[in-house]
Amino acid sequence: MRDTPLSRFLNEFRRNKVATGAAVFVFVIVFIALIAPLVTPQDPYDLAHLVLRDARRPPGYVGTGGYTHWLGTDSQGRDLLSAIIYGLRISLQMGIIASGTAFVIGAVVGCAAAYIGGRFESLVMRIVDLQLSFPAILLAFVIAAILGQGRYQLILALIFAQYAYFARTAHGAAAAERQKDYVEAALSIPLSPWRVVLRHILPNSLPPLIVVATVQIASAISLEATLSFLGVGLPPTEPSLGMLIANGFQYLLSGRYWISIYPGLALIIFIVSLNLVGDQIRDQLNPRLRR
Amino acid sequence: MTDPVTTPATPLLEVTNLKTWFPSGRGEVKAVDGVSFSIAPGEVLGLVGESGSGKSITGFSIIGLIDEPGRIVEGSIKLEGRELVGLPSHELRAIRGKTISMVFQDPMMTLNPVLSIGTQIKLALEAHETFSSAEARERAIKALRQVRISDPERKVDFFPHQFSGGMRQRVAIAIALLHRPKLIICDEPTTALDVSIQAEILAEMKELVSELGTALIWISHDLAIVSSIADRVAVMKSGNIVEIGPALGVLTKPQHDYTRALLDALPSRAKPGELLLRGSGIADAAPPPRKSATANLPHLGSPYLVIDDVVKRFEKPAGLFRNLAIKSGLSQPLNVVHAVAGVSLTVKRGEVLGLVGESGSGKSTLGRMAAGITVPTSGTIGLNGQPVMSTGRAPKKITTRIQTIFQDPFASLNGRMRIGDIIAEGPLAHRLVSRAEAAVYVGQWLAAVGLDPSFSNRFPHQFSGGQRQRIAIARALAMQPDVIVCDEPVASLDVSIQAQIINLLIRLRAELDLSLVFISHDLSVVRHLCDRVAIMYQGRIVEEGEAAAIYADPQHAYTQRLLAAVPVLPQAAE
Repeated sequence: MRDTPLSRFLNEFRRNKVATGAAVFVFVIVFIALIAPLVTPQDPYDLAHLVLRDARRPPGYVGTGGYTHWLGTDSQGRDLLSAIIYGLRISLQMGIIASGTAFVIGAVVGCAAAYIGGRFESLVMRIVDLQLSFPAILLAFVIAAILGQGRYQLILALIFAQYAYFARTAHGAAAAERQKDYVEAALSIPLSPWRVVLRHILPNSLPPLIVVATVQIASAISLEATLSFLGVGLPPTEPSLGMLIANGFQYLLSGRYWISIYPGLALIIFIVSLNLVGDQIRDQLNPRLRR
Repeated sequence: MTDPVTTPATPLLEVTNLKTWFPSGRGEVKAVDGVSFSIAPGEVLGLVGESGSGKSITGFSIIGLIDEPGRIVEGSIKLEGRELVGLPSHELRAIRGKTISMVFQDPMMTLNPVLSIGTQIKLALEAHETFSSAEARERAIKALRQVRISDPERKVDFFPHQFSGGMRQRVAIAIALLHRPKLIICDEPTTALDVSIQAEILAEMKELVSELGTALIWISHDLAIVSSIADRVAVMKSGNIVEIGPALGVLTKPQHDYTRALLDALPSRAKPGELLLRGSGIADAAPPPRKSATANLPHLGSPYLVIDDVVKRFEKPAGLFRNLAIKSGLSQPLNVVHAVAGVSLTVKRGEVLGLVGESGSGKSTLGRMAAGITVPTSGTIGLNGQPVMSTGRAPKKITTRIQTIFQDPFASLNGRMRIGDIIAEGPLAHRLVSRAEAAVYVGQWLAAVGLDPSFSNRFPHQFSGGQRQRIAIARALAMQPDVIVCDEPVASLDVSIQAQIINLLIRLRAELDLSLVFISHDLSVVRHLCDRVAIMYQGRIVEEGEAAAIYADPQHAYTQRLLAAVPVLPQAAE
C-alpha cells in the first residue's frame, strides 16, 4: 500500500476495533437505506398495501401479504422493519443535507470572519456565540414552529440550529492558520484574499470541521427525530423514525411495546455508531490527544 | 582542567558500544548505533553532529530518559564503574539530578511556568536531600548568585516568564548545578539564545566547570561553539562517532571526510561571495528566461528599493470600553511596542543587503514591511519609484517585483497543495504564464533550484528541510521578481544544507541580477553573502556600510559587542 496520509489514517483507524465495527455498521445502514425499495418486504408509504386487519401485530406474525413481520406491525398494519428502513432513509437524508449545508455556510462564515477580522469578525462571531448560548433543540423548534411542517422547512430549521457550531470551529481553526507562514507567503506573492481563504486557509482548517461534521450529522438526525416526535417535523405521509416512535407511544402502556421500541432502538444504535466513528476521527485528527 | 590528550585510567563515564533504537512502522530506527567514548572527571566533551545524527539521543540514553518505545538494545554506560544500563528506575532517579544532570535547549519548556524559581529550586533540592524552608531559600539564592543573576534575593520569587531567555537558561543551569553533579549534559543550551547572550553563557559555563571540576557533555550542531568550550570533540553521523579527539586537533586537522565536509560547509572558512566547497552537490539548470519587461529597470548599482522613514507600532487591540476611554482621554493605549522606530534604507539594484540584529531588533518586521506583508504605521516603501502597497483604509500589496523567502520551510509551504501548484499559483494568478505553459515553467524552476522536475506532483511532506527551502525559493523566483526579502532562510537548516542553499542564492542572484534583503542573526553567513550590511538594534539602524568595512572596523559600540560575541573556529595551522 502506498504511504499516503489517507492510508496512514485508515491504518490507524483500523486499530480501534469498536470504531471499526461502528463504521462498518454505519456503512451497512447507509447502504440498506439507499437500496430500501429493493430489500424491504413492503412499501410502507403505499396505502394500498396496508391491511388494517394486520395492525398492531407482535413480532414474528405472518400477515395477509404472506410474509413474516419480523418486528411486528404498527397501528395501520405497516410492517415495522420496512417502516424503520424507510425511516432511516429519511432521517439520513435530512441529517446529511442539513449538516452538509450547515458545514458549507459555517465554514465560509467562520473562515471569512477570521480572515477579515476587525468589526466584521466581532459582529459575526458574537451572533454565533449568541446562538450557541441557546440549546440547538430550542432554536430548531422555534424555526420549525414558525415555518410549519414540511421537509424543506425542517431542513432550514436544522441548518439554522447547526451552522453556528461549524462557524465557531472554522473560526478557531482559520484564526490559527491565518498566522502561519504559508498564508503570509501567499499574501506576499500577492494572491487575492478570496484565493487565500478558499485555497489555503479553508483546506487546512478542514480536519476539526470534519470531526464536528460527524458528530453534527448524528445530532441532526436526533434533532429531526425529536421535532418529528413532537409533531413539528415531517408530515405523517413521510414517517421518519421520530414519527414512528410517536405513533407507537400511545400503545406503549398497553403492552404493544414493539411499535415504539424498535424504531427507538434503531435510532439509538445508529446515533451511537455515528458518534463512535466521530470520536475516533477526532482522536486521530486532534494532535493534542496524540501520544 | 585535565590534559585533554591523555585519558586518565579511571574515567568518570564510560560508554561502550551503545545502541539505542526506536521501533517504527518500517523497522527499527537506529538512532544511536554503536557509540563508544569516555570522559575523565572535569573534562568537557563536545558532541557535534547534524540533526538526526543521534547526538541528543546519546545524551538522553546516559541520563536514562529514553521514551517508550525507544530502548537501549545493547552496550554499557558505566558511571564511576557502576553500570547504568538496566538499572531500575528508582535507582536511576537517585543518580539523575544528583550525579548527572541535564540542561535542555529551551528553558521555557523545562521550567514550570506556574511555580516561582525559588519553589522549583527547592523541589529540585528536596528530590535528593531534606531542607527546611529557610535553608532551601538560602540555597536557592546562593545557586542563583552562582550563575550571576543579579539581585538573587528578589529574583528568587520571580516566575519564569519574568526572566529573559538568557536568564531562564541561567536558572536552568543553576538547577543543574544544585547537587554539585559530577557530569552535566547540555543539549544545545545556547541555540535558542542571541549571540551576545550565548557568548556570556559560554564564558560563565567555562568558568563554573573549571571552578567546580564538573565534567560536561556539550551537545551542539555548531562547531565554533564547541571549539570554544570543549577539551575533546566527538563528531557524530547517523548514530556513530566518526571522529573523536582533542578539540584543536579535530577542528584544525580533521581526519575523517565527514568532519572535513562539515568544516568546509561553514561560510566563515570561505572567502566572502565564493561558492562553499561542499555545498555544490547538485548540478543546477539555468533558470527560464524572463518574460516580464526589463526595459524600464534601472542599471545595476542604482537605488532601487527605497525605504523612507518607516515606523511600525504594534498596539494591543483595546476593547470597546477602553476604546471609549482612550477617545475621551481617560486612558492611554495599552502596550504600544515600537518594533521599527524610523528606518530609512536604500537597496541598490543587484545588491545584497544584510539586515543583522538580535531577536526583537525589528529586523523581521522591517523585512515584512519591505515585502508588502505588514502595513507600516508611517513612512513609505517604494520599488523603482512605485509604492509597494496601495494606500487607503485596507492597504494591499500591488507589486509582484518583490518576493519573500521565509525561515521555516516546513511552515511556509501549504501542506495540502502539490508543489507544482504551489509554484504555479502566483504566476498563473498574475498571468505570467498561461495554463498550458505552467507545467513546463514549473519544471524549469524546479530544475533551476536543483530539484527533479518530475517532483512537481508531490506534496511538501515528502521533502526534506533543504529541499523544501529550494521549493520556497522556486516559488519566489517564479514570480520573476527583482528583489527578494530572505528572512533567516538558512537559520533552521543543518550546516551542509545551509551551504547548499547559500550556494544556490549566490548563483541565482548573479544569473538573475537579483537584489536580496538578507535578514539574519548569523554574522558569518551575512559576511559571506552580503555586499552591504545594516545593523539593527531596538528598532533602529545603528550602523550601515560596506560589509568588509563593518566587519574590519565596526564603529558603533553595539556592532563591536556583536562581532566580539561571535564564537570563532581555530584556524588551521598552515
